[in-house]
Amino acid sequence: MRLKRGMGIADARAMHPSIEIVEAEPDADKELLDGLADWCDRYTPLVALDGVDGLFLDISGCAHLFGGERAMLDDIAKRLLGQGFCVKLGAASTPGGAWAAARFSNAAILTPKSESAFLAPLPLSALRLAPELRERLEGVGLRRVGTLLQAPRAPLARRFGKGLLLRLDQALGAVEEAISPRLPVAPLSVERFLPEPLVRMEDVEHLLGLLANTLKGDLERRGEGARRLELQLFRVDGLVSRIAVGAARPLRDPRLILKLFRERLAVLGDQVDAGYGFDLVRLSAALVAPFEDRQADLVDSAGEEGEGIAHFADRVRARYGPETIVRPVLVESHIPEHAVTAVAVEDRLEAMPIPDVQDENPERPIRLLQHPELLQVSAEVPEGPPIHFRWRSALHKVARSEGPERIAPEWWRDRADAETRDYFRIEDTEGRRFWLFRRGFYGTAARPPAWFMHGLFS
Amino acid sequence: MATSALAKDIVFALRQQIAKIEGALPERLAAPDKAEESAVIVRRHGVAAHTLLQIGVEEIDAALGGGLEAGALTELHGRETRDAGASAGFVLCLVSLWMKAATAAPFILWIGTEEVFREAGFPYGRGILGLFGIPPENLLFAAAPKPSDALWIAEEAAVLSDFAAVIVELRGSPRALDLTATRRLHRRAQKVGRPVFLLRQGAVAEPTAAPVRFVLSASAAGLRETLDGPLPLSIGPPGFEVEISKSRAAASGRFVLEWNADERIFEDRRRGRFAPPDRGALVSLSGGGQAVEEALGAVVAFGQSGARAAHHQPSREQHTAHLRPRRAS
Repeated sequence: MRLKRGMGIADARAMHPSIEIVEAEPDADKELLDGLADWCDRYTPLVALDGVDGLFLDISGCAHLFGGERAMLDDIAKRLLGQGFCVKLGAASTPGGAWAAARFSNAAILTPKSESAFLAPLPLSALRLAPELRERLEGVGLRRVGTLLQAPRAPLARRFGKGLLLRLDQALGAVEEAISPRLPVAPLSVERFLPEPLVRMEDVEHLLGLLANTLKGDLERRGEGARRLELQLFRVDGLVSRIAVGAARPLRDPRLILKLFRERLAVLGDQVDAGYGFDLVRLSAALVAPFEDRQADLVDSAGEEGEGIAHFADRVRARYGPETIVRPVLVESHIPEHAVTAVAVEDRLEAMPIPDVQDENPERPIRLLQHPELLQVSAEVPEGPPIHFRWRSALHKVARSEGPERIAPEWWRDRADAETRDYFRIEDTEGRRFWLFRRGFYGTAARPPAWFMHGLFS
Repeated sequence: MATSALAKDIVFALRQQIAKIEGALPERLAAPDKAEESAVIVRRHGVAAHTLLQIGVEEIDAALGGGLEAGALTELHGRETRDAGASAGFVLCLVSLWMKAATAAPFILWIGTEEVFREAGFPYGRGILGLFGIPPENLLFAAAPKPSDALWIAEEAAVLSDFAAVIVELRGSPRALDLTATRRLHRRAQKVGRPVFLLRQGAVAEPTAAPVRFVLSASAAGLRETLDGPLPLSIGPPGFEVEISKSRAAASGRFVLEWNADERIFEDRRRGRFAPPDRGALVSLSGGGQAVEEALGAVVAFGQSGARAAHHQPSREQHTAHLRPRRAS
């Protein structure tokens, strides 16, 4: 058709008036490639993206699970063809060799040491070289990989840089090259291939229980428990659902694991669509931690205090996200909103000293607004307490006030333009008690002082 | 005659058993003759008296028929969102009393929707520690996206024996909070024997399964006590205006309570906090008929120019001598 890359639409139309023009969508292409990479997780946990149109699969030690390399390539080609993809495949003992085999052969499998024979007749584009470097090489008559292999190395390096030799060595296996996988590899995972896809979620849950039982054995052998678990559901049409749950304490018990996933699945609801069914279900322990074996008490077999809370917190977090349930911890700070911070329930911050309340006993509100709210305030004297103020469009008349309590910014932590606050305890005529502050001083700062509502007393 | 008495006995026993199975609410029976105040009978079907949480002020305890039922859902209304300080304060008072009374687990779970924590402010650990003595590490907060999620968490938590009390805070009148949801919470609280407090901000009274509903509003704080008597215009211990708006066992009423943060008890506002302060002399008069020495220091006007100033202050001449211009010789 004599159409070329980089050609204008007008030129193409002039040559072929009935041509159909589809706009490129790089984002959608990327998404599709990501989806394919997800699906390829069924073959190996080490899947890396290669540019915009390729995937690297590190199948070391995985090929035998699929009946050898040839059978594996056939399986990949068949399944992807079933999904409507035409793919070019190649396998080799080096990423460079596999790259060339995929692009310049028909599903060739290169054995170690056979790369140079395979590469020799190929053009230079089989070497993953930068385009300008390739043009320079072709400009001096080096058009085949074979000629480069025969040429002396030192002059090549001097003239064309070290990059060229690196690519050559990588293709031949003289230099080790690692692919960078998209996802971290889970320390432990168990999976089940299903000849007949699972359609009902109840069956998935049942299978999950079986997998969790198998995982328990593996975890016991290692003396570990899982802190984060991931369930991967591979749908027959190529969609992969990943469902993760966290645990406050290392987990082994299949019942508890199943319970956590049930909560998560209950919230996800229709988002996990079985469609035509799942043909591979994998449960992996993404994060493991040493598991403390405790001997059960003869008298009372009840668990340690707080264990119930840890499991309860896990289930809540499995449903509503990791930030849902928190515990406040006092921190050394003068700034009220920094003086208390929230941590996860299981975090024990023994090192942090809890300041003695009897020591310094400033009156603090029992509720603190997450962001101080701007007030309209009239005060008798500029630096004094307000006589009335408007908060959330309601007027409050001040009956009594105490203050100010001056809280200066923490110069070792705050920005240089942070301003001093004068806090007042206010009681309005209806008996409500509030904590307000005036930010800044009159006449000194660049911006005029402003009043804020910060907290509510009981 | 004897058979009918026997039948009565059996019927009574059966009724009691049914009431226990059904978890019937206690009810207040009208006293036969109104003359005697203490003649009120409170029928508590199968609820042991030791699970009562005594508020510690005679009138309100009497009105509630001995105290607040601990193993139950208790509803507390704040009239408006800006009353959230008072209503949250009263709940924490009750929790503080409950933890003092019962040697239960130390943890407290406070569940709210993200909305209510944003609108009414997040509970502040330092203030709670100072006023109610509940250490922050024993408090757990759960922020749920929706009221129905908050109720789900509450139901899960209410059956755990690790929590001494569960507080559920909601704003307005969400549809999820109906008779069924509150009844489920109430039954779980009954089963475990620990209180579940349903704290509602800016809500209207509607039918729920909670046996008791309080309506709370802020009341002016007392004055700070000093050795020299109450300090005028100061903001002292917080006051609460508590109205019992629904209870089968209680007489309705309105009470003004004051929280004593040092003793961690409620005090009736109408009664004095302490004995009337003794305004006598701090130092007893000396015996033996000796004259009492005048208090030290007296108000002295500044001396005239040149006169000897009081309190060894330098006179004007002395003071400014070195400031005079020197005469050139």
